[in-house]
Amino acid sequence: MSAPWVDLDPTLVVVAAGTTTVGAVSGALGCFAYLRRQGLVGDVVSHSALLGVVGAFVLVHAITGSASRSLFILVPGALVAGTAALMLARSVSIRTRLNDDASLGVMLSIFFGGGLFLLRWVQRQSPPIAGHTGLEDYIFGMAAAMTRADLWMIFALGGGALVVLFLMWKELKVFTFDPDFARSQGLPSRLLDTLLMGLLVAGVVIGIQTVGVILMIALLVTPAAAARQWTSSLSTMALLAAAFGAVAGAGGALLSASAASLPTGPVVVLLATTIFLLSLLLAPRRGVIARARARRVLRDVPPRAAGGAS
Amino acid sequence: MIQGSDLNFRADQPALDVEGLTVTYGKEPALWNADLRLDRGSLAAVVGPNGAGKSTLLKAALGVVPRVSGRVRVLGEDPARRRRLVAYVPQRTSVDWDFPTSVLDVVLMGTYGQLGWFRRPGRKERALALHSLEQMEMADLAGRQIAELSGGQQQRVFLARALVQDAEVYFMDEPFAGVDAVTEQSIASLMGHLAHRGKTILSVHHDLATVPRYFEHAVLLNRAVQAVGTIKEVFHRGNLDRLYGGRVPAGVPDLAPS
Ligand SMILES: Nc1ncnc2c1ncn2[C@@H]1O[C@H](COP(=O)(O)OP(=O)(O)OP(=O)(O)O)[C@@H](O)[C@H]1O
Ligand SMILES: [Mg+2]
Repeated sequence: MSAPWVDLDPTLVVVAAGTTTVGAVSGALGCFAYLRRQGLVGDVVSHSALLGVVGAFVLVHAITGSASRSLFILVPGALVAGTAALMLARSVSIRTRLNDDASLGVMLSIFFGGGLFLLRWVQRQSPPIAGHTGLEDYIFGMAAAMTRADLWMIFALGGGALVVLFLMWKELKVFTFDPDFARSQGLPSRLLDTLLMGLLVAGVVIGIQTVGVILMIALLVTPAAAARQWTSSLSTMALLAAAFGAVAGAGGALLSASAASLPTGPVVVLLATTIFLLSLLLAPRRGVIARARARRVLRDVPPRAAGGAS
Repeated sequence: MIQGSDLNFRADQPALDVEGLTVTYGKEPALWNADLRLDRGSLAAVVGPNGAGKSTLLKAALGVVPRVSGRVRVLGEDPARRRRLVAYVPQRTSVDWDFPTSVLDVVLMGTYGQLGWFRRPGRKERALALHSLEQMEMADLAGRQIAELSGGQQQRVFLARALVQDAEVYFMDEPFAGVDAVTEQSIASLMGHLAHRGKTILSVHHDLATVPRYFEHAVLLNRAVQAVGTIKEVFHRGNLDRLYGGRVPAGVPDLAPS
């Protein structure tokens, strides 16, 4: 009798380890995006990453003549594109009358549109660029393409982000809760803001291979929103969100490996959404059921004898 | 986070010295050429209409908003070098009270400045925070999630966080907003105690009727500082009508003849 994991396909081990890490990291980082109401920022970063990924592919192909879809090339592209989109959005909202959300929306459309356009251009080249197939998987995610090297990239970036989060915990916490007070204590708000953005960008770019640029935002925000239902402590929330993200990531990898036609990204996101919905229903204090029960208890209290006019 | 913070100050230095301070957010200046000087031990109310720049004045004195021109000195130094000697009670509505954290945790934030980067609050900080909560009669709510506090309790939490900072100068933004009469009394007596111990308090206050009861000094502010001084000197109907554009309701005690 052999333990089941001995029979596991080594590729599947890589993929599952990758998606689990991606889920855990984006769960933890997503808590800050969620509490700072920066879901849209995360969405802009991930959509823009498509342009960065395809752009990096094209650039490397033009320079070296070789076509590579290694994360070591595509992730820096995504980092650059995501950061550029955020910086452009910021300068647009400072220089024009567009508000923050509108300028973020504009950048999302420009960068995502640009990414789709460039992707189509790459696909139409003749003679075809060898190795371009698979780029389109970044739209909806394709965890099966993950290599061992990709996994190291995910470990490095994701682990680094978590270490920073851990070291700067109390600074990031007070800055998120009460930025003016944090500033009055001498905390550099520009630096912390940039740091949180940087963490968000790192979380997004390691996830897009698995989940795809369109659904990545769900993997950031949904575990955090689910975790918020269960706890009122930020550290517990981050740990729970990481656990929810990891479960969704691992489950997505295993499910899509067992049924060939299931795409990993959407499965991961559906699992995270299921966890969220269950939390919304079942959580003790905040959950829908608990609140309905609390209301019923109040209703059942017999009215006072002198109820007043009605 | 306290690098460059200087704990030494001369006793004769003014707690707050503001000269020609101008602050703008967009085009219009929120503060225009404001001058203000407060001695140590002052218990001062900042009074003025909505949008007069009261919160902005506090934030500029804290070095939280950049100033366009002018000079701010806290105990003789730039605010950036006085972080450890200054406590801040922000406007209660400026934060999201649904943030996942407990009462004790928020009060502990008042110790972060002394802890510096990376270090976590420990037993000593917890004891200090609990002590501050006791002073605000909130010790039994230490473990409560902040989402489950009333407005007055939120205000007490913010004050406890300021107390734990053990500062020399306290900047408070509307500490009386939305609290009941009992809490109002305890906040007022807390301020009195602090001032009695030589601490300086500059507090935004909207209720003109209680200014003379709770404060010894008043800063009348509308973009620029219109008057600063003891209540007797500056807090009279003539000044107030000018400050609010002649719309001050009756019931405000007329302490001094105008
Ligand atoms: N972050 C900001 N961005 C842009 N404008 C701002 C900002 N904060 C304040 N202002 C503007 O600056 C002016 C002064 O604001 P401030 O908050 O200092 O007024 P205040 O006297 O505290 O008012 P209130 O009594 O309503 O609290 C107002 O016109 C306000 O619209
Ligand atoms: Mg204000």
